[in-house]
Amino acid sequence: MNDKRPSNQPERPSTQIRWGRRLWIALSMLLLVYGLVQAVEESTTLNRITPIGMVQVAGEPLITKTTPDIADVDTAEPIAAPRPSRSDYPNIGVSSRAIVWILAQLHLFFAALVLAVPLFLLTIELLGVYTGDERYDNMAYEFMKISLTGFSITAIFGGSLALALFVLYPDFMGYMMHVFGVQVLVYAILFFLESFFLYTYYYGWNAFRYGNLKWVHLSLGLMLNASGLTIMVLANSWATFMMAPSGVNEVGAVVGNIWEIMKGPLWNPINLHRFIANIAFGGTVVGAYAAFKFLSTNDPDRRAHYDWMGYTSNFIAILAFLPLPFAGYWLMAEIYAYSQQMGITAMGGILAWLFIVQAVLIGTILLAGNFYLWAGMSRTDGSDRYKGLIKYIAAVLVVCFLIWVTPHTLILSASEISLLGGSYHHILGPLGIMPAKNVAVNLMLVATFLSFQLYRRSDKVATVSWAPMGNALMVPIYVVAIVNIIFLGVYYGYFTNTVYKVGSSVAQVASTLVVIIAGIILDTLMFRNAKTLPSHWGRIPDRAQYALFALPIAFTWLMGLMGYVRSSVKTHWHVYTVMKDNSPDNYIPTIAYAGNMITIVTVLFLLCVLFMFWVANLSSTRQAKPAAGGAV
Amino acid sequence: MQTNDNNNALSMLISIIVSFMIALTFFYGLDHLVMSMQGLPLNPDLSPAG
Repeated sequence: MNDKRPSNQPERPSTQIRWGRRLWIALSMLLLVYGLVQAVEESTTLNRITPIGMVQVAGEPLITKTTPDIADVDTAEPIAAPRPSRSDYPNIGVSSRAIVWILAQLHLFFAALVLAVPLFLLTIELLGVYTGDERYDNMAYEFMKISLTGFSITAIFGGSLALALFVLYPDFMGYMMHVFGVQVLVYAILFFLESFFLYTYYYGWNAFRYGNLKWVHLSLGLMLNASGLTIMVLANSWATFMMAPSGVNEVGAVVGNIWEIMKGPLWNPINLHRFIANIAFGGTVVGAYAAFKFLSTNDPDRRAHYDWMGYTSNFIAILAFLPLPFAGYWLMAEIYAYSQQMGITAMGGILAWLFIVQAVLIGTILLAGNFYLWAGMSRTDGSDRYKGLIKYIAAVLVVCFLIWVTPHTLILSASEISLLGGSYHHILGPLGIMPAKNVAVNLMLVATFLSFQLYRRSDKVATVSWAPMGNALMVPIYVVAIVNIIFLGVYYGYFTNTVYKVGSSVAQVASTLVVIIAGIILDTLMFRNAKTLPSHWGRIPDRAQYALFALPIAFTWLMGLMGYVRSSVKTHWHVYTVMKDNSPDNYIPTIAYAGNMITIVTVLFLLCVLFMFWVANLSSTRQAKPAAGGAV
Repeated sequence: MQTNDNNNALSMLISIIVSFMIALTFFYGLDHLVMSMQGLPLNPDLSPAG
């Protein structure tokens, strides 16, 4: 992943007997095969759906069932979803929604962090094994150490959230328990498993450091991630059931099995979106830790170490962030496919303004991420070859950012409409709709990947004979992809019908992905055995570290914002179309109220993260023994 | 020496032109493929055929 790390290669650990590696491979294969089998089974929908009734055709013999199904064992009358009245909701004098909002969001922030960190540090650890460089291992351990407190905080907020929900929304929680039944206990069992793997993974780090035991340690990490991810997808099924219920009939009575209930139309889009977003989010948070440590020391070796740590965190965050908008598109497309009304509530109604705020936040993330890469180029002398391109990349990012934040429908007074000459600005108006924004988003991602690619190239000189040909191919890929993205957005977006307009956004995404994949493949081949120019870790302006602080703040705010949008599209339903929300808070609040709530939660989370960092530092601090006869 | 430089420049120019042709053909095909997969066929001039 990073070939510009500090030198001092340690000896490769002994691997004379390779049973440890076999254990790792067997576990990986087991998880892979299990996942694939589940995915294949998922696709055969008819196998999963239990019939709720049978019809006998006149003249035909009575159908006899040959295989037992859930209907054979569960003969109880289906129970409809409860319909609580206003008085069924306890009134504790404070908004129940506000309490649940804060607890749920804090729980989700920390859950995202503690699920993501083991994912990428397992990769870093594996990289350490394959390269034989122990600094990867040490860095992974340090990442783990700083996030360890996060597991406890996640559990505390999770428990508090569950209690708050049972106290404040008893009928709703009773219904959810009825629908999901034993699955909730499976969720609890997974916590035990995750805790077991977490503590053995963390505390066994130095005990299982070399040879076969290292592979045992990696296997523990693998199982930690498997249990963590399973917890995530189980919890996701509750959220997606509330948005797009499946396995129940029109009054909420359970008619399907648990798999049918879980596997709603939005489940996999949410799974993918959260999986990617969590990794990017985790990368930004640990990057802030590295930036803090970098700024708080003058020791060159420590600055070099934390500079490298910050770079690695940013690398993870940006790499995960690049495909994230596409996962978001898939989720929104599935929401529209499930319910157009729900989609329009999100992107065409009151919540649409929040997508403008989203654009500001994503723009901030991309600008900060790019700025960090540009500043990081100063580590190598070879970067001078590419610095001239930075101003053009910056110009593209700024112009696209401005297009993305251009609103479509403004709330205007009569005099303002008169001054404007209509409801929409005659030049900027067309920039307010999705085709323009799709072009802007894709170009920003292409520009970010270009920054990334230039940064990666800055300390290398290709030695393969076909390097000029490789560059001659890379340039047209960028140019034609950019032209294609603009053509698709402008032509199909403004001059054809809506169906083609929507369809062309997929081709735009494909063009962007082609640039990214082609860039990675070409660079990997071109810079094999490349001449490496000297890198100076720690030689980066201090201001670059503030970009690493900006990333988690913007990302946290963004997650809070879009989480609110996702939850609000249900409007006045606990479970969409099945169980109505009759509580005093059964309405979409004003944007200002939502903004304040999201800000409060973001600030609380950042305070908790500071506490987490402080505790992590505390464990490595040892008080000096007072001198004899000194003051007590 | 001058002839070598001219040859290199010419071969580079040819490489760039060929690369552009490859890239154009690839993205043209990609547009057709992605749109067709969604049930939105295109004419050879990329206008909607549906």
